[in-house]
Amino acid sequence: MLLKPLKTALTQGFMRCHDCGCLIKSKTETLCPVCGHPVSARKPHSIQRTVALIISALCLYVPANIFPIMSVTQLGIAETHTIVGGIATLIQSDMIPIALLVLVASILVPLMKLLGLTMLLLCVHYRWQVNARLFTQLYRIIAFVGRWSMLDIFMISILVALVDLGGVAQVIAGSAATAFAGVVVLTMFAAKSFDPRLLWDHQISNE
Amino acid sequence: MNNSPEEEIEAADITLSKKATLPLVWFLPLIALLVSAWLIFKSESEKGVVITINFPTAEGLEVDKTKIRYLDVEVGKVTAISINEDLKTIRVTAQMTSTATEFLKKTTSFWVVRPQVGLGGVSGLGTLLSGPYIELRPGMGEDQRHFGGLKAPPVMKSNVDGKQFMLETSNLGSMRPGTVVNFHGIPVGEVLSHKLSDDANSIRLSIFINSPYDQFVRKNTRFWIDSGVDLSASADGFKVRTGPLISLLSGGIAFRASPKDTPAEAQAENTLFQLYETYDQSTQITYTNTLKYVMHFNGSVRGLTIGAPVQLRGIPIGKVTDISLELDKKTAEIRVPVIVELEPDRIESVNDDAKVSDKDVMKQLIKKGLRAQLQTGSLVTGQLLIDLDFHPGSKIVANDEHDHHSDYNEFPTIASSFEEFSRSAQTIMDKVAKLPLDKLTIEMNKTLASLQDTSKAATGMLITANGTLSTAKETLGNASGTIKSAQGVLGNLEPGSTGYYEFHKMLQELTQAASSMKQLTDYLEQHPESLIRGKDEE
Repeated sequence: MLLKPLKTALTQGFMRCHDCGCLIKSKTETLCPVCGHPVSARKPHSIQRTVALIISALCLYVPANIFPIMSVTQLGIAETHTIVGGIATLIQSDMIPIALLVLVASILVPLMKLLGLTMLLLCVHYRWQVNARLFTQLYRIIAFVGRWSMLDIFMISILVALVDLGGVAQVIAGSAATAFAGVVVLTMFAAKSFDPRLLWDHQISNE
Repeated sequence: MNNSPEEEIEAADITLSKKATLPLVWFLPLIALLVSAWLIFKSESEKGVVITINFPTAEGLEVDKTKIRYLDVEVGKVTAISINEDLKTIRVTAQMTSTATEFLKKTTSFWVVRPQVGLGGVSGLGTLLSGPYIELRPGMGEDQRHFGGLKAPPVMKSNVDGKQFMLETSNLGSMRPGTVVNFHGIPVGEVLSHKLSDDANSIRLSIFINSPYDQFVRKNTRFWIDSGVDLSASADGFKVRTGPLISLLSGGIAFRASPKDTPAEAQAENTLFQLYETYDQSTQITYTNTLKYVMHFNGSVRGLTIGAPVQLRGIPIGKVTDISLELDKKTAEIRVPVIVELEPDRIESVNDDAKVSDKDVMKQLIKKGLRAQLQTGSLVTGQLLIDLDFHPGSKIVANDEHDHHSDYNEFPTIASSFEEFSRSAQTIMDKVAKLPLDKLTIEMNKTLASLQDTSKAATGMLITANGTLSTAKETLGNASGTIKSAQGVLGNLEPGSTGYYEFHKMLQELTQAASSMKQLTDYLEQHPESLIRGKDEE
């Protein structure tokens, strides 16, 4: 019942304006008669953009994990932490719930996002016959959960601003923080630029 | 499914606009790639070699926290600490930065900087909070990756400009590494280390003088121990010298340049200098050319100490080097030979004759009457000094015949002025004691009695004299009458005649006689005693 032959708007010659939702019967790209926005059947260059953004995010994902995300200077002793090192410290300090949170928010989520988006892209590109509804679900999760990775960045920026006691204690954001923020932002954009309707487009001919 | 096939194809065409131009978004991965590549390259290029250092203890060292620094610049980080196989030392593995690679040579040394609090100052205070760090000093030679750490900070912490010198002293006292070296009160250096000399007779301190003060260490520069208060009592009286307060607490070394030296005479590195015990010692010029003499003084030499000055007309020209007590077993005579050291160079010579040696000159001087004499230098302390001066009349009391101080020539002495004085006083007293006082008083009495008689007679005589005087007055009165009549006669005389002239002359003489007579009587009136004693010589 899931994969019933679908009557999409596109197959019926309709396009929908992304901004105002107006349905237009047109075969070529045109301007929306209501709001004047260019109307296209699918997001233009959706796959290319997503691919580019994912590659960018992957590039930054490497330094984000190998470089120190912050350095804590406590009474003159500078201590640098990478994301993984921070998790290890948290585990050593018996703060396993927080360690898990950081692990999920900082490592798993960006990684899952990248992998998930890649899978979606592959699926579209090779026109895999998959459970499109499940994949759409996956897309929704990716789009929703992406912003929560910024938690780490927020925490670091708050620490940097608050813990600035000169020689006693100081927190300085490392280069990985910038890279990590880049990863999160880029994956968010990647998720946004992906058009989930593409998943359905080649499913039509199935049944 | 009402859609016509054409529509579907058209729709597919719209959907799959794959042949789109390359969108700008592809710059993004390029930038991201560049950024991450640059980050990785940067961190990798900063990473230098990994080295290992052996230390006796890992006290305070922590993995990933302890830094390696050079001139307070971080050049590495401890990445691992393990115990060596000998189970006595530890091995520190450190990741150095790329800039430090060139420091890591054969003679590079490492030591742990820990806080040190001493009288001389506080060092490494920063490590109280931050924990110890490892300091390195660059070395020379071949590249090396495994080092033995120093137990204590090395003598020279870094390549500060300056020079190292050696000081020789007999007693270390409170000197220790870090003791300040002052120059006119300015701290200009410090003691680096000390060690016993090879013959174990003295201690050699190696000191470091910072530039630009190292240039003042010249040929005649003197170093002395400047430790606090220097109270000395010598033949010159009491003296108190105090050094800087820090020296008062922890001792110090001071030096000064000699005005004679030119800047060209700045000494080379590691030149050996004598470290004098006191400031006074350092001010004494040492003369290599010395003449040694032995002096034998009669009487006690209490107050004469080794080092007491030998003065010539008040100017020190030498010092006492030895005082001993001798007993001649044959003659059972006790003598005190005093060995003195004279420095002829202290006397500037005029009309120098190279042929005549100082010894000959001294002989000549002795012949001319140069004698040594003990003199009190200070009445307060009772210190004695030896004074040389010319006493041409004195004989040479030499005891060469039984002198076995053959090494030294005998220098003739005379008794000290005090001794002489006391001796003469003694002689006088002796003579006084010998006087026949009893007889003397009887005689005296007699004399007095006769004197009384004499005075009585004199009184009589004076009365007679008074009578005589009044007679004389009368005579004078007559004389004036005579003169007056003579004048009358003269008036009658023809002026110009011989008779007149002669008469005139006679009258003048008479006048003179009369006036002298008057003078005499006046004098006698005032001084009647002159009749007995004669006229006072005034």
